[in-house]
Amino acid sequence: MSFLDALHAVVGRERVRSQPLELLLFAKDAGVRAGTAAAVVFPETPEETAACVRVAREWGVPVIPRGAGTGLAGGAVPEEPGLVVVMTRMNRIHSVDVAGRTAWVGPGVINLDLSVELGRHGLHYAPDPSSQSACTIGGNVGTNAGGPHCLAEGTTVAHILAVELVTADAEIHILGGEAPDPPGLDLRGVVVGSEGTLGLVTRILVKLTQNPPHVRTLLIAFADVAAAAKTVSDVIAAGIVPAALEMMDREMVRAVENFVHAGFPTEAAAVLLAEVTGFEDGVVAEAGTIARIADAAGANEVRVASEGAERDEWWRGRKSAFGAVAQAAPDYYLHDTVVPRTKLVDVLTDVYEIGGRYGLTMLNVFHAGDGNLHPLVAFDAREPGMLDKVEEAAKEMVRVSVEAGGSLSGEHGVGSEKRDLMPLVFDPVDLDAQARLRDAFDPDGLFNPGKVLPSGSRCADFDYVAAGAVP
Amino acid sequence: MTGTADRALAPYLETIPDPLPEGLPAVGHVVAPRSVDEAAAILAIASRHGLSVLVWGGGTHQGYGHPVRSDVVLLTTEMRRVVEWLPDDLTVLVDAGVPVAELTRMLDERSQTPVLPEHPGDATVGGVVAAGISGWGRLRYGPVRDRVLQVVIVTGDGRVVTGGGRVVKNVTGYDLPRLATGSLGSLGVIATVCLKLWPRPSFAASIAVSDPVEALAKAYRPLAVLETDAGSWVYLTGTEAEVVAQARALGGAAEEGLGWPDPLDDPGVVVVRVPPRLTPEAVRRVRSIDGGVRFRAAHGVGEVRVGLVSGDGGPVAVLRRWAESHEGSVVLERAADGWTLDPWGAPPGSVDLQAKVKAAFDPAGVVNPGRLPGGI
Repeated sequence: MSFLDALHAVVGRERVRSQPLELLLFAKDAGVRAGTAAAVVFPETPEETAACVRVAREWGVPVIPRGAGTGLAGGAVPEEPGLVVVMTRMNRIHSVDVAGRTAWVGPGVINLDLSVELGRHGLHYAPDPSSQSACTIGGNVGTNAGGPHCLAEGTTVAHILAVELVTADAEIHILGGEAPDPPGLDLRGVVVGSEGTLGLVTRILVKLTQNPPHVRTLLIAFADVAAAAKTVSDVIAAGIVPAALEMMDREMVRAVENFVHAGFPTEAAAVLLAEVTGFEDGVVAEAGTIARIADAAGANEVRVASEGAERDEWWRGRKSAFGAVAQAAPDYYLHDTVVPRTKLVDVLTDVYEIGGRYGLTMLNVFHAGDGNLHPLVAFDAREPGMLDKVEEAAKEMVRVSVEAGGSLSGEHGVGSEKRDLMPLVFDPVDLDAQARLRDAFDPDGLFNPGKVLPSGSRCADFDYVAAGAVP
Repeated sequence: MTGTADRALAPYLETIPDPLPEGLPAVGHVVAPRSVDEAAAILAIASRHGLSVLVWGGGTHQGYGHPVRSDVVLLTTEMRRVVEWLPDDLTVLVDAGVPVAELTRMLDERSQTPVLPEHPGDATVGGVVAAGISGWGRLRYGPVRDRVLQVVIVTGDGRVVTGGGRVVKNVTGYDLPRLATGSLGSLGVIATVCLKLWPRPSFAASIAVSDPVEALAKAYRPLAVLETDAGSWVYLTGTEAEVVAQARALGGAAEEGLGWPDPLDDPGVVVVRVPPRLTPEAVRRVRSIDGGVRFRAAHGVGEVRVGLVSGDGGPVAVLRRWAESHEGSVVLERAADGWTLDPWGAPPGSVDLQAKVKAAFDPAGVVNPGRLPGGI
């Protein structure tokens, strides 16, 4: 019996893919590098998923979980010929508890579909990555995805109460629960953001959030980027944590405006989108304070939208930023570093300098309120040596962010893209501890090998004490 | 304890506070490291000599979980620097031994809050994180683990491991801050913690209500909805105008400020944890305990703290059977001497996996051994 025969026996012939074109398609995510798939399988139940894991284990084939493939850090790209397990067929909303504000969902449920479905109950699922109309909740769990509205609400992990996990021994565990603080270690918190390296998530209990009674969205135009960044720092320092606080530079505003015609001011050097939510009086007061801070920082224009078409247009513009870049060049490389919010102006200045020095076309759109930068380099990968140049510049941008006290990734994940940069933020003892944690779940390295931790992270030198040893 | 172990620990015995904190068990040695490096040296010695170590902060939650039989008590209270507070970035980096009350007071000067327990007593920041204790503001701001951005853990075998980062949003590497939160010292000593802060809203009100369930459904993002043996209240924060408007919409008598119920001072306390929608049912069951009990229920959270006046395990067992049948738990937080109540109830299905995770951090099994469910 071949590996494919074994998979056919588990899920049937029609849910296993192995044609060359299919393997190519599933060997890549939305980032810039491709890997090699040995086979692609589409399980429909946790039990089928466990059976796939068992087959892969028996045949010694690594397992690479995949949602919609919208990831940018290579998390779903098979580093070595592996079994890509696509979770998109497990796309049912199993149950919604309106009073308890929770729902059990399959990992293949699309992020936006969940909020649309919940709208009639006055609830939504808070994390809203820009790819929310395509990305899956399972993928969001894998990367601990963010989005504009994570500023006030927290990223995915704050909205996941439990996960059902198929482990390396093909067992099915529930980690976490609907009741608060389940006894024992918070393994749920470790699985969220583990980028498919600890197991396969087959069901998810999400926390739901009340829709706000009032929303006010401000679009603020600035004549220079520093003034916009200063406004962001000053708003946070003034004790306001808005629901969202987003920034786009001129190049990005122009690309977006060309694409969606949302009425963005294309002459401005930078545009901030700030949103406040809550009770009407609070919303009015906070919007007023933000407008005053922006004025003091030298804003050219402040527009206000309440709920409705104008606000929707603005957000549609913001969330289509990455698609809009296709006008500039066929490929893009998107960064995802985080810096302390007080360092925004300094780091942005450095980022523009690096882009200029490498002669790159750069557009900026980012979650300014969190200090989560997304410089985006538009390029043509067919140009010889271009991708190398883009990646060199990327490393420099990461370096300036880390030197400012920041981190490698705010929401996209480490994957293979930033794996070898991990020593910039963690020393060998830290990486060794993470490798041991991974080994506790998956001692043979079955799940998504080559992701997150650089090779050699598990370092025997730190075994200064053998278990139970008494010299 | 062997003579070699005594000699190895000797350099760390000079810093012990005098008098010692109340309630310390009688053990061979009490050590009080002043730095992460000293804590690491002590734990490396403990692992090498097979000495079990009980980690002690303010001592407010030592009754939580299985009792730990220990050779050494490690006090964290001599590690108490506020390393760096960045008010404009809403983060603070502190040593584990900083008292929660002191941190809260300091942050209040700039109208910021760590959203930690409102009545901390002597609790330390490290202790509250290790025990995973969230304040009443949990309904609005989420559990304490959502505010732990970075931890430095001194592992059972004396490695100094940093996880997370000092930024408010971060997916770089595995989430050790969340793993450490609520780990009850089973992985090692939490030595420093970086917390995400929130601006303290300018106005607050407490509104007495007759039906907390209805109030929870009607209120928008209240700070807390509590029910006790003495009444029910909704707690609101925000600008004065919005709080007043919302208080009016809810009805009931509003008072300015946050009038929290006193902490339970009964000799024993258990915490009932159930899916939030079952909070009213949990309250009904708690109220029907023979002889009456005092309790503090957090609606919308699914948690009811219940005061115990005797070590009679009957009512606890009944509550536990019901809670566990709904995927909840009843956990012992505190008991009087001589009571023999089961602290955890049924261990979770993932107990073997949890044991492996503990071993990854504490291979010799010396730090708070047996504390967790399943005796891990």
